[in-house]
Amino acid sequence: MGEAILKVDQVVKRFGEVVALDHCSFDIEKGSITGLIGPNGAGKTTLFNLITGILQPDEGRIFFKGEEITRKKPYEIARMGIGRTYQIIRIFPKMTLLENLLVVGREKGKAVVEKAYELLHRVRLYEKKDEDASDLSFGQQKLLSLAQVLMLDSELILLDEPAAGINPTLQNELMELIHQLNEEGKTFVIVEHDMKVIMNHCQKAIALNYGQKIAEGSCSVILKDETLLEHYFGR
Amino acid sequence: MGILSKKFLILVGLAILLAFLISFPFFATDYWMTLLILILIYTVYASGWNLFSGLTGYTNFGLAWFIGVSGYVSSILIADYQWPWLFAWPMGALFISLVSIAVGYILLRIKGVYFAISMVALTEGTRELFGTGYLEPITHGGKGLPFVAGIPLSTLYWSILFLAFVTIFICYKITSSKFGLQLMAIREDEQAAETLGINTTKAKILAFTLSSFLVGLGGAIHCTYQNYIDPNYAFNIQLTLTPIVMTLFGGIGTVFGPVLGATLFTFIHEILWAELTLLYMAIFGGILMVLILFFPQGLLGWMKRRGILPKIRKI
Repeated sequence: MGEAILKVDQVVKRFGEVVALDHCSFDIEKGSITGLIGPNGAGKTTLFNLITGILQPDEGRIFFKGEEITRKKPYEIARMGIGRTYQIIRIFPKMTLLENLLVVGREKGKAVVEKAYELLHRVRLYEKKDEDASDLSFGQQKLLSLAQVLMLDSELILLDEPAAGINPTLQNELMELIHQLNEEGKTFVIVEHDMKVIMNHCQKAIALNYGQKIAEGSCSVILKDETLLEHYFGR
Repeated sequence: MGILSKKFLILVGLAILLAFLISFPFFATDYWMTLLILILIYTVYASGWNLFSGLTGYTNFGLAWFIGVSGYVSSILIADYQWPWLFAWPMGALFISLVSIAVGYILLRIKGVYFAISMVALTEGTRELFGTGYLEPITHGGKGLPFVAGIPLSTLYWSILFLAFVTIFICYKITSSKFGLQLMAIREDEQAAETLGINTTKAKILAFTLSSFLVGLGGAIHCTYQNYIDPNYAFNIQLTLTPIVMTLFGGIGTVFGPVLGATLFTFIHEILWAELTLLYMAIFGGILMVLILFFPQGLLGWMKRRGILPKIRKI
């Protein structure tokens, strides 16, 4: 195993009586694509919210590139290099595509505009740059959302169900882009319900259930794991 | 020809308008002077409100709080401490800005109707406080404070004209800047903005404070213009509601919407009041309802959508 870009160490999160995450620990290897799987309510999105600083863990610590980020504010964590997209798309609907990117970029002057143009070309939305983001299709909004994250030059990108609800063509386009970015050195963690997506695109998977890590390993191994299958498919 | 000449024509038009407004006191009657002063005061209020609420989506129902506190500080300095108006006004605005940083830090964590109600409560609470016996040695309590600042009407007019220009210019610059986009991102989805690296707390407090400064400066001039201040007048809910309605009327979130709203609204108000004194509120209400139903984006928003004006942030 290579160098860990993200380290989640014994993280606990409770919502009242409910334990959403229960002493959860794992490392994400730099340059990998890792799938995060588990049934609804397993704690996947809570984990994303903890990593990005939207929620604070009750116990445990989280490290990014060796530096602790547990008590940092979301915008600080974002600027350090962790980007995320949401399960329900959360772009800025009443702003143009270009504005959606410009607002994120941290470069000064012309550089930020050029970067935004480049990314709009990359996700094939350049022609629509002056339209409101709300005019895009669902799948295109997902691409825009990813472009926003790329504006920040995030090294680690957390994707919450990137393939859900979009047509196969756009889905292929999106996954192709993720592989390209991965080859350029970006690390991905992907929450996904579609097992085909995990099998085809992730090198490794981590399985959660009831807030606990129940399995971890290469996709082919983990998908044969008996306990996981039992939890996941109720077998 | 083309874009260059169009830009040239706009600049010439603005120059003529500016020359007209600056020379206005030399030929206008007192009636027109007072009407224009009122328009300019409300332009500052509406633009100042829009700068924060129109962009961030945090509905501020405490505009009268900005106006009242700054109005009180400046009026007391003029009346009881013989400060010249030129120094008293900025001091009032500075005072409310500093208080706004503290209040913003606490209240800008709460959203929607809760924030709106908190600002109403703050305004009403301050109104009560300023009228009580406890603060009477400073505020003169409920009986109010009449004073004379010794400022000629023309100078007062030029002051508020200058402030209105500065306010519009600031709104123009901000709306088409990165900071403006950040404020709009807060309106669209605050949590997403935060996870995209935007320090939303800082942006909100900055916009709130800037809004309080500009509106506070307007409030100080307004009180000097009236030569009088008392709690019910300075913290009147009308001072909050009228600029909001003007902004909705002209176009919320745009640069010139509040200006257009304040101008048209004051004129319509004046005409209706003069011609149909008994019915004017009813007619006024009818016009407002039609506007809100059919032009929810305001006149400017409607013109942008119809292609009468270009769909750019600079307007």
